[in-house]
Amino acid sequence: MKNKLPRLLQFKFKEPKNKFLFIIMMGTILIMFALLPEVFLSSTNLKSMASQFPEFGFLALAMMLAMITGGIDLSVVATANFTGVIAALILTKGPAAGMNPMLSIVLAIAATIVAALPVGLINGFLIAYIGVPPILATLGTQGLFLGIATVITKGLSVANFPKSFLYIGNGSIFGIPIVFILFIIGTIFVWLLLGKTEQGFNMYMLGTNPIVSRYSGVDNAKIIMQTYITTALLAAVSSIIMISRANSMRPGYGSSYLLQAILVVVLGGADPDGGFGNIPGLLMAIVMLQVTQSGFNILAFSPFVRKFIWGFALLLVMTINYIAQQYGNYKRVKKMRQSTASEAT
Amino acid sequence: MADVFLEAKNISKTFVGVKALDNVDLTISKGEIHCLIGENGSGKSTLIKVIGGIHKADSGTISIEGNLLSGKDAIESIRSGVQIIYQDLSLFPNLTVAENISINDMLESNQQVVNWKKMRETAKRALSEIGEDIDIDERVENLSVAKKQIIAISRALTQNAKLIIMDEATSAITSEEVKHLFSIILKLKERGIATLFVSHKLGEVFEIAENISILRDGKLLGVYPSHELNEERLAYIMTGLNLKFEPYTYESDKFSQTPLLEVKNLAKGGQYKDINFQVRPGEIVGIIGLIGSGRTEVVESIFGIDQPDSGSISVEGTEVSIKNPRDAMRHGIAFLPEDRLTQGLFDVQSIGNNIVITVIRNFLKRSKLLDLPKKRTCEHEWVEKLSIKTPTPNNPANSLSGGNQQRVVIAKWLATDPKVFILDGPTIGIDIGSKHTIHEIIRDLARQGMGIVIISDEAQEILDNCNRVIVMSKGTIIKEFADSRDVDADHLLDIVARRVEIGVDA
Amino acid sequence: MNLKRIFKRSETFVLLIIIAFSVFVTIKNPAFLTLDNLFDLLRSSSGTAILGIGIFLVLISGGVDVSSTTIAIVTQYVSITLMIRSGIDSMWFLFGLSAFIGIVLGAINAFFVSLLKVPTLIVTLGTSSLYHGIMLEFFGTRSVNIGSLPESVKSFGKINILTLTRADGSTYGLSIFFVILIALLIITYVILKYTVIGRSVYAIGGNLEAAKRAGFNTRKTHFFVYTYAGLLAGIMGVIHLSLIRYSNPNYIVGTELGVIAAVVLGGARISGGTGTLTGTMLGIILITILEKNLIMMGLSTYWQQLFIGVVLILGVSITYLQAKFQQSGKTIIATEEE
Repeated sequence: MKNKLPRLLQFKFKEPKNKFLFIIMMGTILIMFALLPEVFLSSTNLKSMASQFPEFGFLALAMMLAMITGGIDLSVVATANFTGVIAALILTKGPAAGMNPMLSIVLAIAATIVAALPVGLINGFLIAYIGVPPILATLGTQGLFLGIATVITKGLSVANFPKSFLYIGNGSIFGIPIVFILFIIGTIFVWLLLGKTEQGFNMYMLGTNPIVSRYSGVDNAKIIMQTYITTALLAAVSSIIMISRANSMRPGYGSSYLLQAILVVVLGGADPDGGFGNIPGLLMAIVMLQVTQSGFNILAFSPFVRKFIWGFALLLVMTINYIAQQYGNYKRVKKMRQSTASEAT
Repeated sequence: MADVFLEAKNISKTFVGVKALDNVDLTISKGEIHCLIGENGSGKSTLIKVIGGIHKADSGTISIEGNLLSGKDAIESIRSGVQIIYQDLSLFPNLTVAENISINDMLESNQQVVNWKKMRETAKRALSEIGEDIDIDERVENLSVAKKQIIAISRALTQNAKLIIMDEATSAITSEEVKHLFSIILKLKERGIATLFVSHKLGEVFEIAENISILRDGKLLGVYPSHELNEERLAYIMTGLNLKFEPYTYESDKFSQTPLLEVKNLAKGGQYKDINFQVRPGEIVGIIGLIGSGRTEVVESIFGIDQPDSGSISVEGTEVSIKNPRDAMRHGIAFLPEDRLTQGLFDVQSIGNNIVITVIRNFLKRSKLLDLPKKRTCEHEWVEKLSIKTPTPNNPANSLSGGNQQRVVIAKWLATDPKVFILDGPTIGIDIGSKHTIHEIIRDLARQGMGIVIISDEAQEILDNCNRVIVMSKGTIIKEFADSRDVDADHLLDIVARRVEIGVDA
Repeated sequence: MNLKRIFKRSETFVLLIIIAFSVFVTIKNPAFLTLDNLFDLLRSSSGTAILGIGIFLVLISGGVDVSSTTIAIVTQYVSITLMIRSGIDSMWFLFGLSAFIGIVLGAINAFFVSLLKVPTLIVTLGTSSLYHGIMLEFFGTRSVNIGSLPESVKSFGKINILTLTRADGSTYGLSIFFVILIALLIITYVILKYTVIGRSVYAIGGNLEAAKRAGFNTRKTHFFVYTYAGLLAGIMGVIHLSLIRYSNPNYIVGTELGVIAAVVLGGARISGGTGTLTGTMLGIILITILEKNLIMMGLSTYWQQLFIGVVLILGVSITYLQAKFQQSGKTIIATEEE
């Protein structure tokens, strides 16, 4: 008899690690709920949480894509700063020069996408064609584009955008924050890319072993280019959310997001060496982090405790990963040996 | 009876639930040349590491010259006179030749300060012992595999070793160098130094070994004096079956004579030149040659990993341009690479993913999204077709034995429905039972009209399975036998090693 | 033959760029190539160079350390706070305490890298957040300004081993910071070249598995690398404090990527096992003069990051392109000779 319950309720996860992650996530939520019964699950708080994480969420999606291919993108925040600054300038200088506000909004959004392309292209080119290790290539582009943003703005922030633009960051539809909806759309896109396209499949394989993927006919260069262009584009979307929520952009905004993005991707089950990583895991990790952060805010923990706990969490996660991997290997190989033993006789 | 040097009794070792060694015994006398046979996964690597002190056995004892080993660290074994040369050579690519050769010596003497003068002298001496001259200040990563082998062997000789364990030490050196190595092993024997020689190359094993231990799935199948064994007897011991070795016959009248693959005047500076050959449907063409003869380089150029400088490649009569593996695949060429683990398989990915990587495009629906059920069906089909021993295609590829892993790589290429299938060293590191099966698979493919190219070091494998043989040396084809029945293994090896003068060939 | 090898090295390349750049700047602004300016440069960048040695060491061992800067500021802030509270007025005390804290923090890094086999980038990302968070929470965030500094600290920064007089009567000199740097360079060089543990750092960076098989105690090596890096970070923290006579718990952090960039430009490979102290120092010199001289060339400080980004991109591109050509040019067999 076929089980009609959705997979989630069946407690069945494709990835073994996710089962464990789910328990921890639910645990975190329950603890927060227990500590702050009325406040935590109130619609105000939920709405607040739902509008806080999307700008970070897009950066995390980007980071995961890079890590799946066995690389890393240290330039995502700098890209967001860079594209955000350009959009911010259009949004302020445009209307000031007499442009129709709606036109300036459309141009600004288009500009972020266009501005993201050079970052992705440079990263992709350095990594795919020159053979620069991703950590170094994106370190370079991080400096370059944050630098450009700094030079353009002289380090100051650009602020005050047309009111209709701010609606993106602060408005909601049927009570659901628009940015949250954007994030859902973005997540679906990445989920489809990774799980259901040829590129996605090749990304995982390339991340596992680029030599084998080359010998198997995969166009490594193309996949890498596509990956880093996509990460840049995701960072651009993030920047739109950032500036429409904060009504300003300054170079250096969101610098703490870089570590958090890596943390969340690793926590979500991605292997820093590449070849593995999935959306459900990432989402659960993001939820955990957001819940924890909101809880800390409400409980008025100092921002330093937060820093300390994130560092601690990252180390804890890696330790658990290590133990879990050993355990996972044990179980799987045991199963294998049992079945081959019975077959061999 | 000769003095016993090493006596390992009832060695068992379990790793995360897998019994890598199950009550294995091994006895080696002083100066004995002992061979260990077993495919990848049989436990021979673990046994070596236990003897070397890298792993501690769960149960059982090891004594060297009567002294019990505690197994606490590698230094203990090294001080007892055990030296291991690993298959990957375990060299430091970023250090110089001198340092690599002398490093064990330095560690063993427990010093804190580095004496560079002594290091260089030690290195020079070790190299001269085997008659080699390599620039000792060169960084090892800049050297060829053959030279790296020599450095690894020199390093082992610096230690006053009493037992040298060579783990597949000859997989990447020429047979001239193998002969040289064997002469050194015999010299060592005269000095009372024993050798434990681990190899899958049965020809070499039978040539050099005095006694042979056979491992399978962590268990010792038996120890035999080498004169009591031959390939057939060995196959029987390992598989319990009587395997027949019948040469392959090419039925030319059954197939079209238009070559599936034709290579004309292929040349690449510094690698190969004047390469001409054809592969017709139903043929199995064998390419044999020493390491460094250019065989892998030629086929990698055909497959698009590299590009030739000049010459042409034609598929089914039409000249094609191949700039990368995708082009080659599009023209129906498939390539099974020499190194399964670093070039052929994604070891941590699932068996299924490994199989479909070449044809993932076939599962795209109109929407450009993947049809996952179709993909899964394909995975299951191939696991069935090639009898890959696994409960599910979702298990990682590294959970399989060597023979099964190779079948995964073969499956991934057969899924592309190729016209020409080039296999570079298809049975390296595979036990004799699986080897036979893989040969059968290859022959079946040829019988159905595929054009096959096999590259191998083993003359017998080539002669048994190929109807045509090409001999390469130093980048060119020095001889082609249109009919493999025209030559026997010994003569073939003589030509390969250039011990025989050959005239201009047809 | 030896000359050819010298030319192939990236260190030579960096040196040429430094020379070219210096010439260019001197033409625009002759004040650059004066002893006054050079001594000042040495004084202000010795601390960073010391940090660079630590990062270089970790890189050689095959790791990437982004926590050095955090360790530097934590040791600095905690030590000076404790020093003031305790009333002890001795530079030896400050150095000792800083060194001790640096070693402990480094050891924690080593624990995760060596025993739990966590990738070093992730470990050091985590520990830098951990250390900084703990410090800010439990030691506070108030800067320590010159007024609160003990005498010994204030006067230490002024010590010069060689003093010269300018035209107007004021003096300048070669700072003691530079002496400390040279001393550390010599010690590190000797360790790396002439001791077994030094060679083991290169060994594990080149091939960790082979190092284990050869009998190296890789755990010991990892602990040595990270505690030494921690120690150097501690020393840098004190020097930095003496230099600017101010301790803000949010300083130094954030500059680690720049130092890593400098070390990589100097020829150290991110994959480990390759690199020289000379190259590292050249890389630091290059980045330092770039930073300083943008100002001299009339460009505001905003351009710094951009310049460093561009230099890094160009530098690594050249290094890795070179490596690529070397690989493909390598002949596998000679068809003519032999």
